[in-house]
Amino acid sequence: MPETETVQLFITCLVDSFFPSIGEALVHVLNRAGVRVEFPVEQTCCGQPAFNAGLRSQARPLAEHTIQVFEKTTGEIIIPSGSCAAMLKYGYPELFEGDPDWLAKARLLAGRVHEFTEYLVDVRGISDLGSRWPGKLTYHPSCHLLRMLGVDRQPRLLLAGVKDAEIVELPERTDCCGFGGVFSVEHPELSAEFLKRKISNLEKTGSPTLVVCDTGCLMHIQGGLHRLDKGQRVVHIAQVLDTR
Amino acid sequence: MSVKTFRERIRESIADENLQIALDGNARHRTLGRLEAFSAFPDYQERRERLHAIKADVISHLDKYLEQFIARVTANGIQVHRAADAQAAIRIFLEIAREHNANLVAKSKSMLSEEINFNHALEAAGLKVVETDLGEYIVQLRGERPSHILTPAVHLRRGQVGQLFHEKLGVPYTEDIPEMVATARHVLREVFLNAELGVSGVNFGVAETGTLCLVTNEGNGRMVTNLPPVHVALMGIERLVPTLDDLAQFLMLLPRSATGQKLSAYTSLINSPKGRLDVDGARERHLILVDNGRLALQASPLAESLYCIRCGACLNACPVFREISGLAYLGKDGSIAPYPGPIGSVLSPGLLNCENYGQLAQASTLCGACKEACPVNIDLPELLLRVRAGEAGEKSKNQRHDEGIGIPPIVKLGLMVYRLAGGIPPLFSLGQWLGGLISRVYSPRHKYMRLPAWTGWGYSKEFPRLETQAFRTRWKGIKQEVNSGDQSIRKADITPVPEPKPARSLADQFTEELSLLGVKVYRLPEMDCKASLAEFLNERTIEQVCVDSVGENYVNGVAIVRTQDPTVRAGVTGVFVGIADTGSLVLVGGEDSPLTASLLPDIHIAILKESDLVPTLADALAKPEIQSATAAVVITGPSRTADIEMTLTIGVHGPKELHVFLIS
Repeated sequence: MPETETVQLFITCLVDSFFPSIGEALVHVLNRAGVRVEFPVEQTCCGQPAFNAGLRSQARPLAEHTIQVFEKTTGEIIIPSGSCAAMLKYGYPELFEGDPDWLAKARLLAGRVHEFTEYLVDVRGISDLGSRWPGKLTYHPSCHLLRMLGVDRQPRLLLAGVKDAEIVELPERTDCCGFGGVFSVEHPELSAEFLKRKISNLEKTGSPTLVVCDTGCLMHIQGGLHRLDKGQRVVHIAQVLDTR
Repeated sequence: MSVKTFRERIRESIADENLQIALDGNARHRTLGRLEAFSAFPDYQERRERLHAIKADVISHLDKYLEQFIARVTANGIQVHRAADAQAAIRIFLEIAREHNANLVAKSKSMLSEEINFNHALEAAGLKVVETDLGEYIVQLRGERPSHILTPAVHLRRGQVGQLFHEKLGVPYTEDIPEMVATARHVLREVFLNAELGVSGVNFGVAETGTLCLVTNEGNGRMVTNLPPVHVALMGIERLVPTLDDLAQFLMLLPRSATGQKLSAYTSLINSPKGRLDVDGARERHLILVDNGRLALQASPLAESLYCIRCGACLNACPVFREISGLAYLGKDGSIAPYPGPIGSVLSPGLLNCENYGQLAQASTLCGACKEACPVNIDLPELLLRVRAGEAGEKSKNQRHDEGIGIPPIVKLGLMVYRLAGGIPPLFSLGQWLGGLISRVYSPRHKYMRLPAWTGWGYSKEFPRLETQAFRTRWKGIKQEVNSGDQSIRKADITPVPEPKPARSLADQFTEELSLLGVKVYRLPEMDCKASLAEFLNERTIEQVCVDSVGENYVNGVAIVRTQDPTVRAGVTGVFVGIADTGSLVLVGGEDSPLTASLLPDIHIAILKESDLVPTLADALAKPEIQSATAAVVITGPSRTADIEMTLTIGVHGPKELHVFLIS
């Protein structure tokens, strides 16, 4: 067991506003991993929605705000979302390209950023948290987590360590669920097709529970399941790891 | 008539059942093919990084490489023309056509020709231009644009093609793909033989040697560059690689990414027009180098899109393309973008008209499947983001477009409000609380609310309620008990160790690769070769053959034809070198070595000595003869196509059978 450590939590606006209980689970799990959590309360949104829409002048003030909030803190920054982590790690340096002062700050910040599972496995060296989840689980790798951060082995390793859980493979698992931020409202027809395919693949697994590391995918797929009156539930990996 | 919008076309595409089946088939087939092809490359990532670095060098020093390339091509005897834009390219071409009194033009596939609306301009000038790639021929007959840069008729099913051939070519309706392919072979063979001009694209230009490289599977690329007396190649100025060795690196990944093949059936390397003593080849060759916005793109934040080698892998991997096909990427004016898919949503606005095609970049979840599939590791999501941010203009001239191009005003407004609240934490908290309250009033019972369809979200899913107690409100109440015991287990090392492969002889490897391509290899000693060949020809009642100077030595008892006679059923040729790891044959043209002997007959018999095997394509291209010959071709299996319903069919334009006599 490594020594205890203190980290900063960037909760993401989706967890903050829609799924605070995921945040609570996350704190419990980090505590169990020997990590004390601090939460700078002035944090808001990382600016990704505006950035991905191409509205860089709108994204920039939010990015500056986020940088200023975390500048005052020390320690690693933990984010329960691959796509927000990728925004801080890769989006900010792109956003501040051509502005040396802010670029330097953005790079400093980027160096501290970790997605939740990547932090647990690669930084803390943990693969088993003594969690228990009776029944089938299947895992959907979120696109930014998988392809921008290259994080896939870590959540799988953590899930493999969950007692009583039967992990089944999701067919065509690396296909996008169709969320994509503003894409989901701007191109609803395309988004609906991706979602349909994801849900049909989930049904093929026979698993009642789909695990994700991003709340964007969670609210999208769960929203689709509710619309279709399906019984499957989507959970964040922190909720699985928090169960004993 | 009102212009069809992008979203209307998306809806139509999704509702088109035939299209959906065709596109699902394409995505599955191509993705599997690509993954399988790369499973043999544990160093795949390094290889694509290398290609990325080569292209980065070429694009950032484009002037230098272009100058070197043009000098070499000119010295090789090919006439070089530079065209600043589409009009100039067409004017130059029409002048060449006029000079030769051309009426019939045989054309192989070129995306550049789509970009500059080439066929339309030629027809307007009274020329008849015939597309000879099967898929391209089909869409030309239908009066359509290609729906995929590689498989232009990917949106069609066999019945639609059968009906088309029945209506346009007067043949009986059939759903038999080999029969349809045979019809096209027959019709297009006449075009090859009668065209006064052959037009091709160029996959790669080699700066160091002035070589034009052309990759095709059907053999039409070889036909249009060899049979008509005049050949005109159209090439975008960015399609350069520095050296032949670099070319080999690119060729190792291009077909694997495109079709899952180790090499395409025919890789043509063209250095110069037919020499004085050569038996075949075009006697005059022209190269039209087209800018058409490329230099401006090079100076913009989208320069990386110029690294593209047009393999189509990003289209096959893209979940959006999979729903709509290349025919649905519409500009604001309702026109189909010349380049579809992820790369097209960068190239079309970047190269042509950002105001018109910029909206295409919004049709992406930024899932990154395109980048992952790209053999040159082009950061497509990043480039799409830059198009969205209005950065398609030239950096130095400070050209910018409006940011958030294509985003509906209501979404823009929403994001602005969110930004304002996000800058003031107390206001953000208040907004969360209010949102929580409102959503509770809107949906008192269910945690997920039903929104109307016009919101976009409500079209296919419910939306979660906001919590009145956000995480930031709950934070103070969370008690932390940090574990300092040792319940947790350290992670195990899970890196798998790859198993070393047993070494095989070059001859074994070569034979195995060819057998995977359905090619029979006869391994025999030199002294038996003549008799075996005679027996082979006798069995098939072949009475005359065309030959090159090597083939001639082995032919016994049948007539030898030295002219380009399309009725001869078999060609017997030597092989300059064989490539073991792809099962390829390299043939070098020149005096006494007609390249058409391995192209026009139905059966190609190649004779190769084991001692002439080399391990890889790079080893073959390193031979000095590749540079000094008029032209060379790398043959990997018989002529083939998968243009109709992804169904592999052998013998489109080139030989239907390939037999290799490997002499020990």
